[in-house]
Amino acid sequence: MSETILEVRHLSKSFGDHEVLKDIDFTVCKGDVTSIIGASGSGKSTLLRCINLLETPSSGQILFHGQDVTGKGVNPSQYRSKVGMVFQSFNLFNNMTVLENCMVGQVKVLKKSKTEARENAMKYLEQVGMTPYIKAKPRQISGGQKQRVAIARALAMEPEVLLFDEPTSALDPEMVGEVLSVMRDLAQNGMTMLVVTHEMAFARDVSSQVVFMSDGVICEQGDPRQVFSNPQQQRTREFLSRFMAH
Amino acid sequence: MDKFIELGQDMAALWLQYWDRYLVGIRSTLILAVVATLIGCVIGLVCGILNTIPYSKNDSLPKRFVLKLIRVIVRIYVEVFRGTPMVLQAVFIYYGLPYFTNQQIMFRGNSGLWLAAIIVVSINTGAYMAESVRGGIISIDPGQTEGAKAIGMTHVQTMTSVILPQAFRNILPQIGNNFIINIKDTSVMFIIGFIEFFGQHRNIVGNNNMYFQSAAIEMIGYLTMTLIASFLLRRLEKWLDGNSSYELVQDDALTLSAGTYTHPGKGTPFDERSPEGALTQEQRERKHQELKHGRSRGER
Repeated sequence: MSETILEVRHLSKSFGDHEVLKDIDFTVCKGDVTSIIGASGSGKSTLLRCINLLETPSSGQILFHGQDVTGKGVNPSQYRSKVGMVFQSFNLFNNMTVLENCMVGQVKVLKKSKTEARENAMKYLEQVGMTPYIKAKPRQISGGQKQRVAIARALAMEPEVLLFDEPTSALDPEMVGEVLSVMRDLAQNGMTMLVVTHEMAFARDVSSQVVFMSDGVICEQGDPRQVFSNPQQQRTREFLSRFMAH
Repeated sequence: MDKFIELGQDMAALWLQYWDRYLVGIRSTLILAVVATLIGCVIGLVCGILNTIPYSKNDSLPKRFVLKLIRVIVRIYVEVFRGTPMVLQAVFIYYGLPYFTNQQIMFRGNSGLWLAAIIVVSINTGAYMAESVRGGIISIDPGQTEGAKAIGMTHVQTMTSVILPQAFRNILPQIGNNFIINIKDTSVMFIIGFIEFFGQHRNIVGNNNMYFQSAAIEMIGYLTMTLIASFLLRRLEKWLDGNSSYELVQDDALTLSAGTYTHPGKGTPFDERSPEGALTQEQRERKHQELKHGRSRGER
């Protein structure tokens, strides 16, 4: 059993009267690729945003290396710099070039020198195949390219966990492949990843753990082969049959 | 038609006699408008930034109280100075401050007049800019803030590196707007005896009753100033937007063309037979520029 990085304990989140997450429990170990699947509105993205503290959980704990990050006295910025996030809408900084996007966090947050940040950024941009575009602004490149840059930006911070919030949902079908292949490479290199996705093939083939969510609760979780080939819950079966039919 | 010729002759005569006073007036107007717009922008920026500091229910009570208080104060400032005529604000500050402080604070002499005028126009501009800056900040996609937060940036870092540079570009037209309004509206400073372009006009026509002819000169003068200002502002916007194209950093293309750089005289590297035939039209154009200027366009 490898080292536990992230533990979510009894996590709940409400927006007003609407309870989006109810008593969520799961654990992420080093090197795990956890896919969170489920219908739209089932709370997957909210869960991920809670883990990164972009949303404040209503109750429950998020333990990062055993320390509760929801408590007082925890600096959210410091924590976030160790937990990377890739968004559905990329969220690249529009006022910066591709290279600057990958450097700014290293310089401002990690206080690295510009030279060091540049070298590091180039390393990760090369990994995602975006080095020819370092001088481009985000508005000048395609969606798939933006998402690859966003991944490089997150990687450049050298996070311990990388969260993906539906990274391919805003992309044209032909661009989905390039992003997924980058993610596959990352998984093979042992990156700890938490992926909210509608790409069932990716969830089945790449992840080491699948979490199926429905109506704000974890309906079923476990080994992908087992969840996909032999789902235990009725709702999981319904969801998967709808998806696999496509 | 005769009327126009007569008007033109009168204007020419006025200008020949008083051109130095008109020019001095234009100078005062421009100095006041530029200085007050700049100070106003700073006031607006500070107010807009203070006004958009986020707080949530989880923050401590004193923090929430202070932030709320700031918002209320900024709100009152904006509403009062946006909602009253600048003429009256000038009167209130120029005459009101000495009155309330028992002549402790007074605007003495010419420098006092300048100070009062700058204060009034700056505060006025600041009230308008506060709203523009707030609008500029909240108009930036929340995803930008989330992206910055997700890599661990603090609110201050997010603002200075990501949000404000984008917001500034968005409010630049508004700054230009205020500058042009200030060029014109500084004319109300005659009320406290500040002599700028319009003030000169009042003095000049006091001597000779050529009211309409001088007003025509004023019209042309103001229009010239505002047209030049808006032209310069457009140029500034274009310059800030930078180049719309970018350079591909492709090792292959550079290696291919590396040997040809040294012989620009012996035909160009762009001849049909050159290995660079593979380059696109755009890349060729770029190489041309590099040869001409010694550097690439993208690197400005």
